[in-house]
This record gives sequence, structure tokens and C-alpha cells, in this order.
Amino acid sequence: MVELDRRRFLGLGAFTAAVVAAGLTGCGTAATPAQNIGRLRAAFAGGGAGETLNYLVGPTALDFVRARLVHAALGMIDVSQPDGVRYGALESIDVSDDLTTYTLHVRPGIAFTDGSPLTAEDILYSLRAPALLQGLPFTQIVGRDFDLDNAVIDDEHTLTLPTLRPIADGRLLLCQSMLAIKAGTTEFTNTTVSCGPFVISAFQAGQETLLTRNPDYFGAAIGDEPTLDEIQLLSIADDNARVAALTGGQADFISGITPALAQNLDGADGVVVTNGELPYASCLRFVMNPSFEPFADVRVRQAFKLAVDRQSIIDNVYYGRAYLGNDIPALGFPTYHSALEQRAYDPDTARDLLEQAGQSGMSVELTVGPELPGMVETATLIVENLQAIGVDATLAELPAGQLFADYEAYTALPFAAGYNPPALFEPNHTPGVLPEADALVVTARGGLTEDERLDASHQAQQLLWENGNQIGPVFVPGIDAAVDAVSGVRDQQFPDLTNARLAE
Amino acid sequence: MSHARGMPGFIGSRLCIAVVTLGILSVVVFWATEVLPGDAVGVLSGSDATEAERAAVREALGLDRPAPERYLDWVGGALRGDLGVSMVSGRPVDEILVPRLLNTLVLVVIAIVVIAAVSVTIGLLSGMRAGGPLDRVLSSATMGLIATPDFLLATLLLTVFATMLGLFPAVSLVPLGDSAWQHAELLVLPTAALVLGGLGGTTRLVRSSVISVVRSPYIENARLNGARGLHLALAHVLPNALGPGVQALAIMAAGLLGGGIVVETLFNYPGIGFELTQAVGTRDVPVVAGLSLALSTCTLMILLLGDLAARLLGGRASRGATR
Repeated sequence: MVELDRRRFLGLGAFTAAVVAAGLTGCGTAATPAQNIGRLRAAFAGGGAGETLNYLVGPTALDFVRARLVHAALGMIDVSQPDGVRYGALESIDVSDDLTTYTLHVRPGIAFTDGSPLTAEDILYSLRAPALLQGLPFTQIVGRDFDLDNAVIDDEHTLTLPTLRPIADGRLLLCQSMLAIKAGTTEFTNTTVSCGPFVISAFQAGQETLLTRNPDYFGAAIGDEPTLDEIQLLSIADDNARVAALTGGQADFISGITPALAQNLDGADGVVVTNGELPYASCLRFVMNPSFEPFADVRVRQAFKLAVDRQSIIDNVYYGRAYLGNDIPALGFPTYHSALEQRAYDPDTARDLLEQAGQSGMSVELTVGPELPGMVETATLIVENLQAIGVDATLAELPAGQLFADYEAYTALPFAAGYNPPALFEPNHTPGVLPEADALVVTARGGLTEDERLDASHQAQQLLWENGNQIGPVFVPGIDAAVDAVSGVRDQQFPDLTNARLAE
Repeated sequence: MSHARGMPGFIGSRLCIAVVTLGILSVVVFWATEVLPGDAVGVLSGSDATEAERAAVREALGLDRPAPERYLDWVGGALRGDLGVSMVSGRPVDEILVPRLLNTLVLVVIAIVVIAAVSVTIGLLSGMRAGGPLDRVLSSATMGLIATPDFLLATLLLTVFATMLGLFPAVSLVPLGDSAWQHAELLVLPTAALVLGGLGGTTRLVRSSVISVVRSPYIENARLNGARGLHLALAHVLPNALGPGVQALAIMAAGLLGGGIVVETLFNYPGIGFELTQAVGTRDVPVVAGLSLALSTCTLMILLLGDLAARLLGGRASRGATR
């Protein structure tokens, strides 16, 4: 039930990149000492000549990849860690027993590129910056649950944050996509001070960013030390052009290609195609609006879910590069309710349910746009599946970028495609359709014991599975490709190039 | 001489029409950005934004003001040479516009020069020997080019000359601090794609024009006066056949300015058409409006120049034919 569009998807992509980076050191071994091993040329879709270094207003994947390389992350989500996060610029986060106060401990010894130390004041400013500098709403996630105006700087390395309501997942929010910037920063240019693994040597909007390794980066302390001398981030908007750049020797690594292009590239000499692994895959979803009269009947919603041939979508649209969905988000995350029965493909039962609901032969239009690889093709198959059970289903395909452009109009559509980026279910749940599930999610976030929270989460997911209004047939991973000399890139949704390596 | 004498009036009237057209276009462009579903607020806010957050973004972008007020501000700024700033990045629109427009102009000018040279040569050869074996071969080739979609031609060029032979870069990666037009190797494949895409139609038009001139009384008279072969073709037929060709080239150049999007996208060439599609995607109204206005202005200028050239080249054959 998470309502997410491309911006949110991109915002949460930063979270994914963080998780990716967490995986790099998850084994607990220190990174190899830094060596000078060249320049990596990495191509992304980019944002045209309007591209900006201000990551608070930059909406593209490239903006997040670059920001992560330049500004140190407070932490990174790592579900394998005891706190659910791996710390970066923060050394740890303590949570009060009543879940209303978070104490942030800043890692000592971190220096900005101007030589000044990173302090609690900088961290507080970093958390407030999205609001102060008019960042896009998805950058303001911390402010929705924390009372930043009443934060207290206890000392140079300690910051206390009160919450607006009891929450157990505050560490995840703080480490989801928050970056450390120097207090007072108002502009982001080539020379803006930073404390990330790389610094910007040159930038030309819509064309290229050249990053040079930051020799003072604190990565060695957390096993996250870069080895590349330079990273060249290239803006190549078109999928086919990125592939051409890779096969033509103009790029070493390309991000975000379609399953069809991946299929073509697979097996090419000297090229390695990589799929994101769970839990780092986006949930492709098709939302049935209960205010559209037939969908007010739960039997119709259930019929639609049963009518969808999920395996056919995986085989024919994604060439096997997708994961089977079960109509609830967050597949692969620890609180995902994996004990739920997998929804079957059962057109006969679906037809019966429609008949019971008096909606045999009902008409519906599915609105879709190419916002995620395979979204339109999947919608096409779903329309065929629905027609097979007697529904008069049609497809309305919008041009790229239009599906979510008018969000109010989008939410009013009777039946529309969308997606959830890889993220925990509870903090991203949007209430409104099933009040009982909404109440359970509140407990799942603020319950005083872990068991209470997990139980509430599973009950909420059970309700959504049974009575919810979303079909989630597949989870779609990010697909990247690189020449075989490249290693160390952990790209599940967006790549983290911090520890990328380039063989000679 | 009569053409030259009427030229100032002709130019003046065309300039007046161009100014009025630009004014109408400015309204149409602004209106089009208004009626597009959604706006930059929807694109930038994200679906999880609260109404208050959306309102804040709307206010920050100035979209809370009435459309006519915003239009008048924009037009007033444009008349002063200020096209505003990008809603997405905050960069001045002219900073985005100028380099991209230059890149595209260079590409289009080179393509048009090549198309003109090749199409006139082939059109003349075909037209002078209409119906002959050479004409049939050349006509088949040009018809083949017309029938082949631009993206297919571009993809074939890319596959053969970049991927298979490695002769040219597959995509236009411009070195930092440089412009695309400073690197000839980056221009070859995009230009070739534009040339192949436009060559067929222009060649057919020149051929048709040549045939028409060849059959005119003027050429008959030239033949009776002893003109033959290359002399007849270059001195008598070509000057009279160029008028329609020049206008066709002007229309094509105007089309390529904004219409080379497929080529610019496929080769990642940093041109204005490609940039316009990016701006439309983010509903960046000032950028869309600024780029559209610049494209419209350039298009009108090119068409005006085409009309002027055609008027100056006004053939003796056609004049003679009407006498």
C-alpha cells in the first residue's frame, strides 16, 4: 500500500545504494589499502543540461549516485546488522525505551575537505537542510517523524533528537538517505566542502562529472576505503546509447538497462550483466481504486489478483530477471510475511468471484506508462489475463513521465500501474484503504516490543493480501552491465561505486 | 532587377509576419505547457508529499500565481533577453539554451551543406537522364532512403561504423569544458544519420525540378543555341532548378533543428531537441518555453532566408515559360 512515484523511487534508491554499500563490508573484513588503479567511466541516464549538484533538488538516479560519492552518508541500511543499519558518519544511534528520543553519536576524526571537523552541529544542519534549502519532499523524510526544531546538541559529537511519535524504525529513517554536509552550506558547487569518498574535480551539466578520490576520507575506519583514483560519471539518457557506449569502449559500466537489452548483452564477450538481488527489487504494482464502484467489492479485487499469470510475466516480459510477487511489498526484507500462501493463477475461481459479485463482463481501463522496465508489457499481459476471465479490459498507455505527473489525477484513476522501490513496508505504508491495517501499521512502528511490532506487521500484511487493492505480480531488480575488468560495484537499485575496482 | 527592387518590401513584410507568428507561438507554447497533464510540482514533489509540501513547492516555483500573470512576466523577460531560470536546477535558461542550440546548429548546417551538394548532384544526374538506367538506379536508392525510418538508419550507422568497425565513437561524449562541435569525430555519425534521413526527399525534389526545367522552352531555346552536355546542365538547367530545392532545404533545416531528436538521443548528442524532451519530461516550463521560443525564432529565420534565396534564384525558365 505504499504510494510511490518516480521521485520517491529515486529517493529510496539512495537507500538502496546505502544497503549495497553495506553489503560491501558486511563480511567484516577491512578493505584492501588504497591503491592507485585508474579511472572508472560509469554511465547513467542523467538529467540533461538542467542537472545540478544540489542533491536536495536533483531528481535523477545520477544525482543520488554522485551525492553519495561526494557527501558521506550518516549510515547505511543493512538488515544483517543488529541495529538494521551500518554506521557511517554516525558512530551509533541510541534509542530510548519509550521510542521517543534518539541520541546520535557522531564519529570522531572525520574532516571536511577544508580541514574542519564534522560535528553534531553539522549533523543537525544536514538533517534540517532539506527543509531549510527547499529540498524536494522526498528528502524531508526525517522531518516527518522527528522534531528537529527541538533537537539538542549535547556536545561536539552528540545530538539528541525527540520524535513526533513513538517509532522503532528511526535508525532506518536517519540512515536511509541522509548525507553529512557542513553547517551553513547553502550552495552546492565544485568547491563546496564535503567529507565523502570522492571530491568533484569538474562538472558539466548533462555531460560529465569527474570525481577524484578524497585522500582524507574516513572510509578506512569503517572498511569502506575506495581504491579508484577517479570516477567519471557520464550522462547518457538513452538505454540503447548507454549500451552502445559500453560495447563501443566508451564506458566501463552502465546502469539501468532494460531486460530486453540485458538479454541481448548477455553472453557478449568481455561484458558482465548483473541483476539486483532481493530485497533490492522494486515491486511492480497495479492499484485498484475502491472508489471505482466494482472495486469496492473485495471479491472483484480478489478475482483480479487471481486472474494474473505471474510466471508468464516473469518469463515473457523479464526473461527470468524478476522475482515472483505475492501482492504485498518489501519482498526479502526481514518483516516481509513470507509465511503467506503464494497467490495462485486461478482464472476459473476469478471468473466465479466476478459472477458472485455481479460484475461478469465489467469494463475497466488500466492506465500505465513506461516508468519502470517492463511496466507497459506487464500491463498488456494483465489486460489479456482479465479479458480471459470475461472482463472488458483495455489499456491506456501514457508517454514516459506522464503517469505520475499529475498525482491527484493519478490517484483518481480506477486502475493504474505504479511501483514501490525496495524499502521496508511499515515506514512507507500509506493509510486510507483498510483502516484496520493502518492501525496495525502504527503498532508495527511504535509497539514497545519487537515481537509486538512484528506480529502487527504480519497481521497488516495478511489483511492487505486478502482484502487489499493492489496486485503485485513481480519484483523488478535493477540491471547493470560492465566490462569484465570492473568489480566491487554492488548495484541492486542504484550502484554504489565507492569500492568499485578496475583490473589493469 | 525587378526582384531586387522589390526585395526591401518583401523582407519587411516577411519580418512582420515572423514577429506576429512568434507572438502567437509564444502564447501557444505557454498554453501548451499549461494544458499538459500535471506540472513540475507533481514531478518534483513525489507521491508521498503532503499537500502542504506540495503547496510549498508550488509557491517556490511561482506556480501559485495566475497563468496570464506568469505569461506576461515571461514574455517581458524574453523581450529583455531574460528567459528565466529552470524550475528543476535553478540555472538560467540561456545557460542551458545557448550551448545546446549551437551544437544543433553546427550539426544541421553541416548536414544541410552535405545534403545540398549530394542531392543537387544526384538530382541533376537523374533529371538530365530521366527514365534512363542511371536514373532508375539513383531513383531506387533515393526511394529506399525515404522509406527507411531515421532511427533504423542511425542504428545501422552506429552498429557498423562504431560497434563493428570502431571507426567513430558510438556516443557523443564531449570532453569537459569543450563543445561537441569542437570534436569532428563526434559529428560524423550524427551528421551522416541526418544526411541519409534527408537526402532522399531533397534529391527527388531536385530531380523533379530538373526534369521540369529540361522540358521548358528556355532550355529548348538554349539547345537551339548550341548548349550541350555539362554546359547545358550547369549553366542553364541547374540555376533554374535550384529555387524549389533551396526552399526544400530551408524547410528541411527548420525541421532538423527540433526534429533531429531521434538522432540526438541515439548518439547522445547534446543538442536542443534532446534537451527539450528532457525539459518536457520534468515539466520545466521556463526551459520548455525558452527552448521552444528559440527554436521557433531559428525556424522562422531559416524559412525567411529560404524564401529570399528562392526569390533571388527565381528561374528564367519559369519566367520565360509564362511569357
